[in-house]
Amino acid sequence: MKAAYTTEKNPEKAAAAIFEQLSETAPRMVLFFASSEYDPEALSREMQGAFTDCPTVGCTTAGEIVSGRMLKGAVTAMGFSASTLVDARVQLVRDLSGPGGVEAAFKNFAAHFGTPMAQLDPMTHIGIILIDGLSGAEERIMEHIGDMTNIQFIGGSAGDDLKLKASHVFADGAAHSGAAVLALLKPGVAFDTIKTQSFQETGRELTATEVDEGRREVIRFNGRPASQVYAEAVGAAPDAASERFMHNPVGLMAGGEPYVRSPQQIIGDRIKFYCNVKEGMTLSLLESTDIVADTRKAIVDKKAEMGDLRGIVNFHCILRTLELEDKGLTDAYGKLFSHIPTVGFSTYGEQYIGHINQTSTMLVFGK
Amino acid sequence: MSGKIKSMIDAIIAQRSKGNPTVAKAVETKLILKGIDPGDFTAASPDDPAVMEKLQAMAEQFGVSL
Repeated sequence: MKAAYTTEKNPEKAAAAIFEQLSETAPRMVLFFASSEYDPEALSREMQGAFTDCPTVGCTTAGEIVSGRMLKGAVTAMGFSASTLVDARVQLVRDLSGPGGVEAAFKNFAAHFGTPMAQLDPMTHIGIILIDGLSGAEERIMEHIGDMTNIQFIGGSAGDDLKLKASHVFADGAAHSGAAVLALLKPGVAFDTIKTQSFQETGRELTATEVDEGRREVIRFNGRPASQVYAEAVGAAPDAASERFMHNPVGLMAGGEPYVRSPQQIIGDRIKFYCNVKEGMTLSLLESTDIVADTRKAIVDKKAEMGDLRGIVNFHCILRTLELEDKGLTDAYGKLFSHIPTVGFSTYGEQYIGHINQTSTMLVFGK
Repeated sequence: MSGKIKSMIDAIIAQRSKGNPTVAKAVETKLILKGIDPGDFTAASPDDPAVMEKLQAMAEQFGVSL
C-alpha cells in the first residue's frame, strides 16, 4: 500500500497527480480525502476516471493527513495493492433516516462475499465508514451497523474546513451529501484498529438526568441545569464554562476508557454536544493530556503487538487538530507517521463501535 | 426477585460473541452506548422491569432470543 498527496487545485490535474504516484501499486481500491476547496463532484469524477480498474472512495475534510505531514487544501490518498487487499466492496447509503439504507448495503455485501453480514468473520474482514459530518445521523447509523453485524466499522465524519455548510462523501465517481459510504474490506495482511484520545479522568461524574437526544442536548445533569453543574465541576464561572470545553469534555466509560462526548455550546441552561448523550448515562469529567505523546505511545504499542506497520488510515478529530494548531504541534504530530504510509483527515466526528469525539480512530495494517 | 438482568445481559453477550472475547468486549461497549452498563448489574441486582424491558428491546435489535 502506498500513500500520496497533491496540492494541485485543478481536480483533473489533482487526480492525475495522485494516479501518477499510486499507479505502480495497481491498486485494488483507492481511499482519498480532499479539502472542501475542491469542487467535490468534479474531483470524485476525475478520481474515478483516473483509476478505471478499482473503486475510489473518500470524503471532504477539515484538513488532510499524509505520511509525516498535516495539510490544508490538499488531496491525500491511499492505494491498496492486491496483496494488501484481497477483496473490497463499496456501498453508498443514501437513506440515513433508519435501518433500511444499512440493510440494503449489507444485502449487497452478503451477495458479494457469499456470507450474511451477521455471520461474516470479524477476524478476517473490517469495514470503513465515511459519513456526512453535518447529517447528525452518525449515532443512528453506527447503532444499526452494530446491531446487524460483528464486523467492526471504523471511520470518520466528513468535514468542510469548518465552514459548516456542506460535507460530501465520494463513491462511484460522484459526491453525495446526506449520505454515507461503507467499504467492506478483506485484507490480505494482518490488520487491527487504534482508538486513542488524550484525556484522563478527574474523578468527577455527571449523570444526564434529562436530555433532548435528537438535538444532542443535555438539559439537566444530576437533576439540575446542565450548564450550572458543568461549570461547578470544572470550577469556572457559568459565563466562562464554555472556555473549558476543549480541555474538559466528558466521557462515557467503557472497559476503562472514555468514549468522548465533546460539549459544543451552551444554549440557555442546556449544553449541546457534538454527539448524543442518552438519559441516565453517567459521564466522567475528563481533562486533557498530551496528544503527541499519547499518539506516539499508541503507535509504539501497536507496533509491539503487530511488528512493523504497513500502513495507517487515521480518522483524526478536528478538535484535536485545533488543539495541535493552538499549541504549535502539527509538525510534531505529523512526524509521528513519517515512517509509515499514512493517510487521514481531520473529521467532524469519529466512528468506533459508536460515534465519538476528540479521538483518533485508526485502521492499521501489518506485514 | 433478583438476577434476571445479569442473566439477560450475559445471554446477549454470549449469543452474539459465540465465545470470541474481542466480540464480547465490543458487544459490552454497544450495550453501554445503548444505555445499559453490564458492570452495573450483578446476580444480586433486583429485577427492575424498566431495565428488563430495555434489555428485551436491545436483544431484539441484536437479533438475539432471550
